[in-house]
Amino acid sequence: MNTVVTEQRRTPARAAVPSAGATPVPGNRLGRLFCLTLFTPIRRQWAPVLSAALWIAKWVPFAQKHILQFNFIHFVRWTVVREMPYNGAPQVRDRLNYPYLFFESNFDGPWQHYIDAFAYVIPADIRFVWGRGIAFPGPPPAEPLKAWIAMNSMEGGSYYCAYPEASTRMVASALTVRTALDQLIADSSGMDATDFKARYERFLCDVQGHL
Amino acid sequence: MRDKHNRTGTAYALTTFTAILPGHVDEVRATIEGVPRGADSPLARLTQLHTSRLQIFDKLVYQGAPQKYDELKNAYLVFTAAFDGDVDRFLDDVATTVPEADSWWRHCVAYPGLADHGAFRRWIYHNQLDTSLFGVNSQNVSVSQVKESLAARERVVQFAIAAQGLDATSLQQRFTETFMKEKAGH
Repeated sequence: MNTVVTEQRRTPARAAVPSAGATPVPGNRLGRLFCLTLFTPIRRQWAPVLSAALWIAKWVPFAQKHILQFNFIHFVRWTVVREMPYNGAPQVRDRLNYPYLFFESNFDGPWQHYIDAFAYVIPADIRFVWGRGIAFPGPPPAEPLKAWIAMNSMEGGSYYCAYPEASTRMVASALTVRTALDQLIADSSGMDATDFKARYERFLCDVQGHL
Repeated sequence: MRDKHNRTGTAYALTTFTAILPGHVDEVRATIEGVPRGADSPLARLTQLHTSRLQIFDKLVYQGAPQKYDELKNAYLVFTAAFDGDVDRFLDDVATTVPEADSWWRHCVAYPGLADHGAFRRWIYHNQLDTSLFGVNSQNVSVSQVKESLAARERVVQFAIAAQGLDATSLQQRFTETFMKEKAGH
C-alpha cells in the first residue's frame, strides 16, 4: 500500500529537511551535478537479504547495466551500515535500533526531474531496496516517493566534482570523439591531401552526433 | 579485501563516518560549508578525485510509527570520495597536498593529524564503511581521461567550424598544426 508522508512523521528531524522542490543548498550541487544522500533504516530481518542482493548485483553484469540504465547517473553507492565507527572516549557509542542504508548518487540533476523515471520504469527495484524500510511509499505513483526522498535527503556540507559542467552524456560523447580523433591522427600519417580530406569528412560524419 | 568491497573497475568508493568532538559541530559545519567550490577547492589538487562530499549527520530522519527513533549520541562528519587508483596513494595524497583537511578532521575523535601518513591511513580505515554496491557510469576512465577528452571534443568543434570550406591541402595543413604537432608535443 502506498503511504503518503505526513508532517507528524518528520517531527524529530524536520528542521534538517527541506520540502520537495525546495532549492538545493550548495552542499548538494556543483555546476550541473547534484549529489543525493539518503540514510534510512532497514527492518533488521531484511538487512541480510538486502546485503546479499547488493553483493550479488556487484558480480552480475546485467545488474550493473540495469542500475546504470539511467544514463544521468555518474556514480552511485549503497552501503548497509550496521553500526557507527567507534573511536573511544569522548565519543559515546551509538547503538542503533536498526541497520541503515547509506545511499549516495551523483547525477545530472536536479533529482526531482528523474523520480518519475525511477517510479515508473524500475518500481520493483526501488521497492526491493527501500521497500523493506519503514513507511516507504512504494512507487508508483511518483509524488509520495518524491516527498519521501525530500524528507530523507541529508542536506548541507560541501560538494566537489572534477568536471562539474559535464553531463554523463557529454563525458561519453567526449570519450567517443577522443577515440575517433586518435584513430584519425594515426590513420592520416602519410596520407596525401585528397585522401586526408575524405578521411576527415568520414570522421566528422562518424562523430557528428557527439559534437 | 578493502578493494573487493569498494572498487568497481579502476574507481574506488571511500565512505567514512568520523565522530565529531562534543561542542565542535558548529565549527565543523562552518568549516566545510566555507570550503571553496569547484576549481578553487583544495580537493581539486587531488588529480585522481572524481567526486567528493563532506557533510554532517547530527540527527537521523524519523520515519514515523512503528519506527523506534534512533537519536544519535554523536554528530558524525561523513566524507565520501570516488577516485581512481589505489586507496593508500589517495590518502597519502590527501595528507600531502590537502593540509586544509586538518581544518575539518581536527574536530573529530582520535584524529591523528596528517603528518604521520600511516596513522592517518589507519584512522581513516578504522572509520571506513565498506560499500555494498558501487555503480560507475564510465568505467575504467580516469579523471585526466575525462578532462582531456572534453577538451579534445571542444577543439574538434572549434576546428570543424574554422575549417569549413578549406581546400584539401589547407585542411590537412591546419589539421596537422592543430592536432598532430600538439600530440607530438605531448
